[in-house]
Amino acid sequence: MSDNNLNEAQKRVGVYVCHCGGNISDVVDIKKIVDEISKYHSVVVARDYVFMCSSNGQSLIEDDIKNMGINRIVVAACMPSLHELTFRNAIQRAGLNPYLYEHINIREQVSWVHKDNPQGATSKAILLIKAGVEKVLMQDPLNAIRVNAEHRVLIIGGGISGMRAAVSSADNGIEVVIVEKEKKLGGKLNRDGYVYPSDEKAVDIVNKFSKKILSNPLIKVYTESEIINIGGYVGNFDIKIKKTDGDIDNIKAGSIIVATGFDHYMPYDGEYGYKKSDYVLRLKEFIELLSKSDGLEFVFKGKKINSIGFIHCVGSRQNEGIDAPQADGKVNEYCSRVCCTSGIYTMNKLKEKFPDVNVYDVYADIRTYGMESESLYEIASKHDVIFFRRPLDERPQITFEGDKIKITTTDILSFNERLEMEVDMLVLLTGMKPSEIDDISGYLKLSKSTNRFLQEVHPKLRPVEMNINGVFAAGTSLSPMDITESLQSAQTAAMKSAILLSNPDIPLDPFVAVVDEERCTGCGRCVEECLYSGAVTITEKTIDGNIKKVAYVNPAMCKGCGACVAVCSERAIDLNGSRLSQFEAMIDAIVKE
Amino acid sequence: MKEINIDVAVIGSGIAGLEASLDVADAGYKVALIEKSPSIGGRMISLSKVFPTLDCASCITTPKMAAVSHHPFINMMTYTEVREIKKNDDGFDLYAIKKPRYINEGECISCKKCEEVCPVYIEDDFEHELSPKKAISIPFTNAVPQLPVLDMNKCIRCGACARICPKDCIDYLQKAEEIHIKAHSVIISTGYDITPMNAKKEYNAISIPNVISPLQMERLLAPHGPYGKVIRPSDGKIPESIAYVQCAGSRDKSIGVPYCSRVCCMYAIKQAMLLSGSLPLADITIYYMDIRAFGKGYEEFYSEARAMGINFVKAKVARITADEKGSPVLRIEHQEEASKPKEIKHDLVVLSQGMIPAVRDFLGLDLEINEYGFVSSRDKTLNPSQTNIDGVFVCGVARGPKDIPDTIADAGSAAVSAVNYIKSIKGKSL
Ligand SMILES: Cc1cc2nc3c(=O)[nH]c(=O)nc-3n(C[C@H](O)[C@H](O)[C@H](O)COP(=O)(O)OP(=O)(O)OC[C@H]3O[C@@H](n4cnc5c(N)ncnc54)[C@H](O)[C@@H]3O)c2cc1C
Ligand code: SF4
Ligand code: SF4
Ligand code: SF4
Ligand code: SF4
Repeated sequence: MSDNNLNEAQKRVGVYVCHCGGNISDVVDIKKIVDEISKYHSVVVARDYVFMCSSNGQSLIEDDIKNMGINRIVVAACMPSLHELTFRNAIQRAGLNPYLYEHINIREQVSWVHKDNPQGATSKAILLIKAGVEKVLMQDPLNAIRVNAEHRVLIIGGGISGMRAAVSSADNGIEVVIVEKEKKLGGKLNRDGYVYPSDEKAVDIVNKFSKKILSNPLIKVYTESEIINIGGYVGNFDIKIKKTDGDIDNIKAGSIIVATGFDHYMPYDGEYGYKKSDYVLRLKEFIELLSKSDGLEFVFKGKKINSIGFIHCVGSRQNEGIDAPQADGKVNEYCSRVCCTSGIYTMNKLKEKFPDVNVYDVYADIRTYGMESESLYEIASKHDVIFFRRPLDERPQITFEGDKIKITTTDILSFNERLEMEVDMLVLLTGMKPSEIDDISGYLKLSKSTNRFLQEVHPKLRPVEMNINGVFAAGTSLSPMDITESLQSAQTAAMKSAILLSNPDIPLDPFVAVVDEERCTGCGRCVEECLYSGAVTITEKTIDGNIKKVAYVNPAMCKGCGACVAVCSERAIDLNGSRLSQFEAMIDAIVKE
Repeated sequence: MKEINIDVAVIGSGIAGLEASLDVADAGYKVALIEKSPSIGGRMISLSKVFPTLDCASCITTPKMAAVSHHPFINMMTYTEVREIKKNDDGFDLYAIKKPRYINEGECISCKKCEEVCPVYIEDDFEHELSPKKAISIPFTNAVPQLPVLDMNKCIRCGACARICPKDCIDYLQKAEEIHIKAHSVIISTGYDITPMNAKKEYNAISIPNVISPLQMERLLAPHGPYGKVIRPSDGKIPESIAYVQCAGSRDKSIGVPYCSRVCCMYAIKQAMLLSGSLPLADITIYYMDIRAFGKGYEEFYSEARAMGINFVKAKVARITADEKGSPVLRIEHQEEASKPKEIKHDLVVLSQGMIPAVRDFLGLDLEINEYGFVSSRDKTLNPSQTNIDGVFVCGVARGPKDIPDTIADAGSAAVSAVNYIKSIKGKSL
């Protein structure tokens, strides 16, 4: 591109400083920044705007490119991961190479962290922007790397989310491979009993989907199978699947949807009396028991059940110092979202079958947030379920007296009285915990949230995308959700994956390592240092008639981490978009002041 | 009549409609995004910061709005109202009216000169009546498109705007334009209104100026809000004690909203946190029945708010009156202490109102709605986005109360359903 040959005088920098509403301008002195930066060398124009990412803000940049011949852009705003793409698109629309742009973070790295020192913050912002100008002046135009994409999606997990994502993807014309470790599709819904909000049998929901899946020629199902490796990159993932018979299938996929679901929280022995008595059950166990119990009386293991206690938030909404930690030393601070509604729904089912059983419910907050769920709560009250509200930082005590289970709790609803009640059976509303997917998240290098569920890139901007390009997550692998919510998230993951695969080739950022073959001695230190196998290799090349060993970078696999750059003694390997020389120029600009 | 042929008509451009449009268009299908207001963006663009990450709402919404306005496959139709929808053999006919802005939209350069000279002030609906705007004005700072609207009912025809406009855009005689949109599929994303402030008579919200709506508080807290700081409306005083009344417009059969609105616990906690940042000395109390912090990171957010010293009091507010200085007095029925009802005074009170559907009449489309007016799903455990009519999908709060993360997940779901529906009918006709 001709831009490569521009001399210094022809490089015209435009600097665009964002107020971010007030997030930045409340702390740093924007006017001062603009005044000072306009005087800096090579800067032709410096402007500010309330929201640079808005249409108006973007037009400022586009207009300057078109009308003032600006050919290097610096945007000083929020963190680049939020809106880098927005600005790159604007620059491209105006006809400039989108990589001739540098993004300086003056929000997270300046205004938010130096609230108490506005002057210092302003000077820091100015320095960072000057460094950005130096960097962009040495930036070459780059072109996105394009890789061919397999028109196939791998779905890991065949629960309700995985099944929904499979059907939506196949309806979109994409080949699907589902890998499920159990014998049957359906996940946690392969159980007896009914579910809210549709009051259907859980297995009926599974059957609705199984029918669609098994009759669809585009969907291939592996049950009782295990993924033993995933390699490759977006558009070209290589997956090894170990089947029931021990054989291994290799498949290729363009994208991956992780729908590995949740695990039921397992109380430790003695937690609220669990395992100390046959009459302390988890909600899931109780639902199955109830669906099998018929007749006039509720009898379990020879005992007639006249009263049942329910305890909310078992394994959820835990506090350090009050609740015993998990194996990894952490408590589950999060709310599991579904247990209040599912518990109350089950109490109603119980009351419909055995109206004479007395039901006592001990909770902290009743979270029946769904549109029909509030009425379930009301029905429970009409069924004479008696509710006791405990303080947030107290837990009910469980003791055993003969064949009775005694619950002791403080009840806010009766003005903080200490109450004791004896019941024949106790049901623990156990929540969700993330399923054990260290193998999968290890192959794919996925991030986890602080609650140990998978971490989306951004809860609002990119809620089903993972930190690895081409990998999406759906359903309760992300956080607790009910069935409808899992379906929503699965369809959104299917949509994003379909958009990705709708192009025959996928554009990737060109920020990858490049080798200067003249300088490279083929020593291979970069290969040793690289964390991503296959990203850099040593090959033989004919240069000027001589066969020479040199490093070769596979741009689709290189993550642009720069580990190789740090170890090369010959300075023969460098990063596109972040060259060593660019950093040197930035540092020079900073120390000069 | 102007005629437009597209694949999907998306009605309503809140975050649900924006997301759904972008997904459908990114998948290669043509979209008409129809919005009755002069700007796209819906409720979210007017919020301050959003829970649980406390990102500023503008920072998240404006780039999506810009992406919509630049997308080659999206025909953005603002200030446009659908009058009739008909289902026919191969899709839908939508008859819409583009309302006149009384300016030449093709020529306007958004210079705001008209706005500067106009002598007439009117209520600003974007600021929820907290501050005035001009009879001709661009709806708000980051509105898309940046085109002024002239309010013909309030304009005194002084001609000032027409004289100053450098592009000679003002057209007092502009007529509404009729548009016929032919679509294969329709996505409903018409969103919500909050429960009316006068729904609960005992709260006297209309007669006590210092009892405000949560959307007004969002504006008071927004970086570009009407006053740039939080003051109470009656006298401009900085409030020292602020209270939230939870479930003020939800979980109450007597006002026809028996369901939980899902977001009001969380936005109250969020606003309380933002208030304690901007008014560090103020006392903030939240009167509640249950705190419903069920989403990802929400319980942690609630814990953080308690640690910050926000008072959470389990109590029902029976009535609100005002003292002689206009400060609201709350009659409280405590749940925690065995005391008689108490009267407690605060400087400013926010009613945590719930969500009701913005649209209940789908203009000729025989769409099934539930008893509260939200659009029903045909089968919630198969595809929540599918309505009772083939080819019509729903997302966001139009389907029921939802926060932003849930709304965005819902939008993708409607988008893939619409795209796959079109694939299936096109497949058949081949
Ligand atoms: C005070 C308050 C604070 C909140 N804070 C948060 C928060 O911090 N975090 C969070 O996650 N959520 C928050 N929420 C919830 C959030 O506002 C909603 O989840 C979200 O905005 C819903 O988006 P939507 O697109 O479904 O609806 P809307 O934003 O209501 O969009 C609907 C759009 O449709 C248009 N429309 C309606 N009818 C028609 C028609 N007939 N023709 C054409 N167009 C039409 C409307 O003009 C509007 O633009 C808050 C809510 C409130 C009330
Ligand atoms: S849904 Fe209810 S029982 Fe479950 S963790 Fe949340 S508050 Fe506790
Ligand atoms: S003609 Fe109307 S809109 Fe224009 S300046 Fe006068 S009052 Fe304002
Ligand atoms: S003065 Fe004319 S060009 Fe300027 S904003 Fe008003 S209508 Fe548009
Ligand atoms: S979210 Fe909270 S305030 Fe809103 S209706 Fe539900 S319980 Fe009440």
